[in-house]
Amino acid sequence: MGRTSAQGRTNAVRTHRQQVGLTQAELAVACGVARQTVVAVEAGDYAPSVYLALDLARLLSATVESLFDAERAPLDPAPGDLS
Amino acid sequence: MTRTDPLVRLARVVGDFGSPFYDEERQRDVWNEASAFGLQLVLWTTMLSATLAIWIVGAPAVPYVVAALCLLGAVCMLTIGYAQRLGVTVTDPGRMLRLRLLLYILLFLALCAGLLRAAFLRETFSASFAVGLASGAGAALFALTVLALVSRRRSRT
Repeated sequence: MGRTSAQGRTNAVRTHRQQVGLTQAELAVACGVARQTVVAVEAGDYAPSVYLALDLARLLSATVESLFDAERAPLDPAPGDLS
Repeated sequence: MTRTDPLVRLARVVGDFGSPFYDEERQRDVWNEASAFGLQLVLWTTMLSATLAIWIVGAPAVPYVVAALCLLGAVCMLTIGYAQRLGVTVTDPGRMLRLRLLLYILLFLALCAGLLRAAFLRETFSASFAVGLASGAGAALFALTVLALVSRRRSRT
C-alpha cells in the first residue's frame, strides 16, 4: 500500500509462521486472503483487520498480543531531516 | 447513519460494493486508496483542463467548461455526502487548510478569471451570461450552505 497502514509497528508473524512450518501461500489460503496480504502483514506494511489477526493467531498457535507488538518501531528519518 | 439511506444505497449499487473483489481485505484497502487517487486525479485534471480551455479557446469553451464543472461539483458533493452519511466528516477546516487547497483555490481563481475574460472580451459570450453564471454560482453556494447546515443539525439530533 502506498501509505503503510501498520504505521511502523513491528510484528512476529514471520517468526511464528516459520516455527509452525507454514509457507506464506499456505497461511494465506488458510486465512482466506491473498499471499500478498500475508507478505504485507509480515513486512509491517499492512495492519490486518481484527478478524484476520485472530485467524492468524489461531493458525499460528499464538495470541494476537504475541504476534503484534503494540510498540511502534522508530521510523527512519527522512533524507535531509536534521531533527 | 442508516444503511437504507438513498445515497448509501445508490453508492452501494454504483460502487458495486457487493462484488467478491471486496472480500479480500487488503485488496479492498488498496482499491480504496487507488480510488482516492483516481478521484483526486480527475479533480485536478478536470480543473486544469477547464482552466486551459477557457484561456486558450475562450468563449466557445464556456458551455463545456461549465458542464464539466457542474458534473465535477455534483460528483464531489455525492462523494463527500456519502462519507458524511457514514459519520466521516471530510470538510473540517483544520483538515482542509493545506497547501493543496491553496493550489486548488489558485487554479479555481484562474478559471474564474478566464470565464470573466471570456465574458467581457468576446462577442459570442455576453456579459449578461456572466451575470447569470455568477448568480447561478451564488445560488449553488447558498444551496450548499443550507444543505450543510441542515445535515449538521440532523447529525446533532
